[in-house]
Amino acid sequence: MSKKLLTTLCFAMLLAFPLVAQQTVTGTVTSDGESLIGVNIIEKGTSNGVLTDLDGNYSIKVGEDATLVFSYTGYETQEVAVGSQTKIDVQLSAGVNLDEVVVTALGIQKEKKALTYSVSEVDPAGFAEAREMNVVNSLSGKVAGVNVSTTATGAAGSSRVVIRGNNSLSGTNQPLYVVDGIPIDNTNLGSAGMWGGSDGGDGISSINPEDIESISVLKGASAAALYGYRSANGVVLINTKSGSKRKGIGVEFNTSLRTESLINTYDFQREYGHGRNGTAPTTVDQALEEQLYAWGEPLDGNRNVMQFDGVERPYGDAGDNIGRFYETGLTFINTLTLTGGSDKVNFRFSASNLDNSDIMPNSGLTRRNFSLRTNAQLSDRLSATVSAMYVSELADNRPRLSDSPGNANYTAWSLPATINVETLEGDPDKLGAGADGTELQFNDNVFVTNPYWAAHQFDNDSKKDRLMGKVQLRYDIVGGLYARGRMGLDRFTNRTRNLTPYGTAYSPRGQLSEGQREVQELNTELLLGYDQDLTDNITLSLFAGGNQQRNFSESIGGSGNNFNIPFLHAIGNLQNQSVNYGFSEWQVNSLFGSAEVGLMRAIYLNGTYRNDWFSTLTSPVEGAEGDNNQGYYSAGVSAVLSDLLVMPRTIDFLKLRASYATGSGPGVAASPYQLNLTYGIFGQGHLGQALGGITNGSIPNSNLIPLLTKEIEFGLDMRMFTGRLGIDLTYYDRTTENDIISAAVSSTSGFGSKIVNLGEMSNKGIELLVTGTPIKTQDFSWDINLNYAYNDNQVISLLDPENDEESIRGGESRTRSAYIEHVEGLPYSQVAGFAYVRDEAGEIVLDDNGLPQQGEFTHFGTGVAPTMVGFGSTFRYKNFSLNFLIDSRWGGKIYSATNAFAYLRGLHKETLEGRETGIGSIPAEEVEDYYGRIYSITEQFVYDADYIKLRQIQFTYNLPSSVIANLPISGLNIGIGARNVGILYSAADNIDPESTYNVGNAQGLEMFGVPATRSVQFNLGVRF
Amino acid sequence: MKQLFRNITLVAVALMLTTTACDDGFAELNTNPNAAIEINPNFQFSWIQLRTSGERYENWRAVLIYSSTMMQHLATTCGYWSGDKYFYNAGYSSSLFDRQYTQAVKDIQDLIATLESGAAGDQTMLGMARIWRTVIFHRLTDMYGDIPYSESGKGFIEGIDFPAFDSQEFIYKDMLKELEEGIAQIGDEGGFGSADFLYGGDPAKWRRFGYSMMLRLGMRMSEADPAEAQKWVEKAIQGGTLQAGEDAFIEHTNGPEGINRNGIGEVLDLANGSAGEQCPRLSQTFVDWMKDHNDPRLDIIGTLPVNGTEHNGMPNGLDTETLLDNPTGTTADDFSTVNQAIVKVSSPLMFLTVAESELLLAEAAVRGWHSGSAQQHYENGIRAAMKNWERFDASIVVEDAVIDQYLADNPFDEANAMQQIGEQYWAATFLNEYETFSNWRRTGYPELTPVDYPNNVTGGTIPVRLVLPQGELGVNPNMQEALNRQSLGTSFPDHFTVPVWWDK
Repeated sequence: MSKKLLTTLCFAMLLAFPLVAQQTVTGTVTSDGESLIGVNIIEKGTSNGVLTDLDGNYSIKVGEDATLVFSYTGYETQEVAVGSQTKIDVQLSAGVNLDEVVVTALGIQKEKKALTYSVSEVDPAGFAEAREMNVVNSLSGKVAGVNVSTTATGAAGSSRVVIRGNNSLSGTNQPLYVVDGIPIDNTNLGSAGMWGGSDGGDGISSINPEDIESISVLKGASAAALYGYRSANGVVLINTKSGSKRKGIGVEFNTSLRTESLINTYDFQREYGHGRNGTAPTTVDQALEEQLYAWGEPLDGNRNVMQFDGVERPYGDAGDNIGRFYETGLTFINTLTLTGGSDKVNFRFSASNLDNSDIMPNSGLTRRNFSLRTNAQLSDRLSATVSAMYVSELADNRPRLSDSPGNANYTAWSLPATINVETLEGDPDKLGAGADGTELQFNDNVFVTNPYWAAHQFDNDSKKDRLMGKVQLRYDIVGGLYARGRMGLDRFTNRTRNLTPYGTAYSPRGQLSEGQREVQELNTELLLGYDQDLTDNITLSLFAGGNQQRNFSESIGGSGNNFNIPFLHAIGNLQNQSVNYGFSEWQVNSLFGSAEVGLMRAIYLNGTYRNDWFSTLTSPVEGAEGDNNQGYYSAGVSAVLSDLLVMPRTIDFLKLRASYATGSGPGVAASPYQLNLTYGIFGQGHLGQALGGITNGSIPNSNLIPLLTKEIEFGLDMRMFTGRLGIDLTYYDRTTENDIISAAVSSTSGFGSKIVNLGEMSNKGIELLVTGTPIKTQDFSWDINLNYAYNDNQVISLLDPENDEESIRGGESRTRSAYIEHVEGLPYSQVAGFAYVRDEAGEIVLDDNGLPQQGEFTHFGTGVAPTMVGFGSTFRYKNFSLNFLIDSRWGGKIYSATNAFAYLRGLHKETLEGRETGIGSIPAEEVEDYYGRIYSITEQFVYDADYIKLRQIQFTYNLPSSVIANLPISGLNIGIGARNVGILYSAADNIDPESTYNVGNAQGLEMFGVPATRSVQFNLGVRF
Repeated sequence: MKQLFRNITLVAVALMLTTTACDDGFAELNTNPNAAIEINPNFQFSWIQLRTSGERYENWRAVLIYSSTMMQHLATTCGYWSGDKYFYNAGYSSSLFDRQYTQAVKDIQDLIATLESGAAGDQTMLGMARIWRTVIFHRLTDMYGDIPYSESGKGFIEGIDFPAFDSQEFIYKDMLKELEEGIAQIGDEGGFGSADFLYGGDPAKWRRFGYSMMLRLGMRMSEADPAEAQKWVEKAIQGGTLQAGEDAFIEHTNGPEGINRNGIGEVLDLANGSAGEQCPRLSQTFVDWMKDHNDPRLDIIGTLPVNGTEHNGMPNGLDTETLLDNPTGTTADDFSTVNQAIVKVSSPLMFLTVAESELLLAEAAVRGWHSGSAQQHYENGIRAAMKNWERFDASIVVEDAVIDQYLADNPFDEANAMQQIGEQYWAATFLNEYETFSNWRRTGYPELTPVDYPNNVTGGTIPVRLVLPQGELGVNPNMQEALNRQSLGTSFPDHFTVPVWWDK
């Protein structure tokens, strides 16, 4: 951010809010005459806070007119207006705070005890200090039932978040993200598939974790019911921080340095070197032809052997290629926050700069976030919120993944032990290039790209400019009657450049694609609400309203191949140029209403209804069949038994709840023009003739209806021992009907797939959250948090209800011997392929040539782990705090193409067997045929994707108030956080079990992704 | 309080009443502004012809990597050229199948349905489109045996998601019927005009093209069903086949898109192609045959080796290591390459040449199915084959005198006619490798010596089909039956050695 802009901004704010000296408040916090240690004291609306010391004393600098919030686990929270006081002693009373308020659907605040469904609040503490490049990754392991999959896609890549299992076989299963009431776009802008490609990033990663005040996760259909067609996958509500009334401007500065290092999970053989058939290459031609094969001779460092460049080098262990090729990732993050406020108006402004260089050479991310939020009380009845976030994101060289062309990971990992990756560097001024400036080819397969050429000469850049803005007005009409109107915009422009440079072996004259895409979502919502206590025992809360959602996406680009002038990588220099244009537009109109009745402030009944009309289901062909709208409803009840019945003393709070709701997923609404056959005109024509053909790759279907989920949910919420132990248990049972999917059909139908409403899928599961404070003494406290979720997913029926043996294909591995299939009677996303041919005793049967054989086509298990367990713990000692988070998954499978290639090429340790002795009838020099055959036998490379990871360790030190009192600052903290500290358990060979290469619905395929990293972050925060 | 309730109810009712207007303008909004709901049949026919010519994808894999090397037109030491050594690469082998259904079959079925419904176009167009459909399908069945045919490409038109596999015998008989009916539908009026890249819409040429197709398809059954074959060959001859200069081919251009370019050129054109493929050399078998026959085409087809002043073909089935022991050359630079002038991205792509048509007529005469002179047709065929190269580049000129000399050097030999014709057909179909491969399987000429590279999947015999896509088996429940019917077992690589129906 430019200095000038900052200065101007500060100056403007200084004018509005005259700076007044801060005052220091001191005091003691006690309960029943005993001093309380470690009570959290926060200046309301700021992040300014301190803890009480051993004697219950505290000292905090606050602005004038500040309010202090005193909170302590197991005690009721208290707020005290400071006024002119300089000493405030507070008595906290033991008990559980039962009047907690949470943000629910459409931004409506509700008392927690009135909820008839599960809403999980996530404490964002640590999000900024042990930061993930994509903020949603920080949710991993924190919330029962929220499954966050990080992908092997590099620093700027996407994440996959799935709540309570997958609903749809080909639509998105990711939740809706709502920031301050406004839905934001989370489109995955490109992902890798079996033929390669790269991840284009997603939408949620734009959010700066330091702006987040709180996150509520609406997990089930009931909680999300008011989001109608967007409810089925759950909703993540993100609320940003705002300013509050205070004297002067609060200034906060946070700086972090984060280093990232690669976790090398690969353990390839280093006993035999480059070569084939048990011999090392003797000529340059052979060295090239023997590619990446490690079927050579035993290593012998005293002997020189020919390599691809005609140089003979020692045939010994060339050392750590991974360490040589990858770099240490570095990220600097600086954030400046200004807050201020008066009686009528408050604001918060933050500016943040993130500068990252990835472990992949020549790859990185720059992200700048600016966020301004202003709340104003315009009159007694009228209030307004105006907020804007601007995000500028520059991703430099998003790494290519999966298949080999341009994928540096592919070659970097696959080199035989005798080849030093640095010998491929070539020209030091143009890495990866030979003397003539073109790719230095080290093998005769043009598609296996030199890793330096891939990393340094390819370009795959994107630049995103994004604005998210909102205006909200609320008018309190009379009594409890109010009206609220708001409009929210999320708009971004994504500029991409993808260069295959001149001189690339597989594309000698190169290719270039330049593109720009604009995406916008605009929501306008009007709501009329009524809250009233009819009697002391009956409360009423009603609202009804409507929303209009309008989206468009437009892309313009140019692409082509064959540069005329060598190495001039400009679009005008392409011999063959073509123009690409894409456009889509769609709208959803909705009406909704909600009613809640509370009895005796202990029993709550509520119901909601919403109807959505979809432009995408409205056929442009007159007289076509099919509905274009759908209604969704929910009903629920909750009973706070601890208020109704006499409970044992140990139980502070006990609530039971039940709810039922219908909902839907967004797949259909976001896919316009699918209802009829369309023809495209290919503008360039041929020999003066126009060309035109069918554009649909999928068989269109005019009878589509939106998918429907039905979910029933029961829950129990209990807190015991004055809040020392909390249990939150949920059971849910959801079925999805009429999923709209693009089902694979035989390509001989002329189409690769068909858009259909498919049968039925079910998700049943339990979620358990246990929180506890086993130890709490004057100096020391220990909090634990255990969450467990099990989701049992089953595909019940597919296309034909009469046929129980159907399956549809969701994806395929580059090895072409592993697939993802959705199969009736089995969980979603089955890893499928060929088993070994075995005899009755289960022994592998060899063919006449002594080779194992591809046997029956088998479904090995689901690529989505059904069981997740997370365990977190925080230790506090005086001003120190230490927390860690362990995260685990159980029951999923992954097919590793990396290991399949490691077999094919003789890199896998298991391929050492038989190199001297042969295997069965196969002589030693031909064992590569044996392992080469296994390459195509899927079973060998399907692993349990179970893991236990030490996800996070974080250490924080807050400067004690006694020290701060003597400094010209109001707070200082120092922290060290580490993410992805280690893999404590994994059953997969050589790979991180969490390394699928895309966020789509083919989960369970792995191939040469960017390796996982461990990050360590140093953090310094100062408040003035 | 009551008042309030009433107000809220009123608002709610008002909202409900407006619900009919909740989808105003949606039909318009859901109309794709960048695509048409109907298409001019001319545009679609042009599109289909180019799609049949194909892309780099299948031309690289099915045509070059597999067929051209198995047929010993080309040879290479590159390991991934699976056809040279009879390896199995699932994706390469199924490439034609994988692409043609979604790219050509889909639109030809749609076009024919439109024309049949009378919604657009005319009967002449319909006749031409039906003939073109057999062009697409006969290549597929020749390569893969039983394939989805009558139900294919109808995912939208008839809602057939999983087409049945028809037997090759059925397909052949139906295609011949289609040709006959299609030819009959071609009137003197109408048609695609200049949208037809083959003949600019000329109905007479299209009828002759139809009959030459009938000749090709009829002759293909000569071993499997000689009576049927003779019947159709006679019908074709009676109808009148292609005349000199009427080769059926598509002109390609330098771009701008892949579809405009010749798929083989995209692979082999080192200046303007997109693949940079430098692996293949002319096969020793092919070069030596041309040398033995003093063939002027050697200088047209080949470019001299980097190291050498004389053409030199590379033996098939070698790798860089075994090449070191090869007496005729030890590095790739010792061998002749394909002349860049005939594999440009703007080179024409041949579907059916007069040379092929004439050579088949010669064979028909030898078989006694045709009263014409076998020698005359043989000579016509060779003359047309030589002249055909002039279409490829202005630099290529084949003087009549040179052809006369060649015919004098290689006179028609009644006793050896089948072999002569078969070898000439093999030479005349260089680059049209689908046809080379089919005719070789049917006639057994030329007599190619298979290679026996270690661990080839055929046991050292030249494959006699391409292997169907394995992936289709998981998707299409009808495929298993087709495999069983043709005795194709669970091991896909073994399919290479199982002959198709007409290959007896």
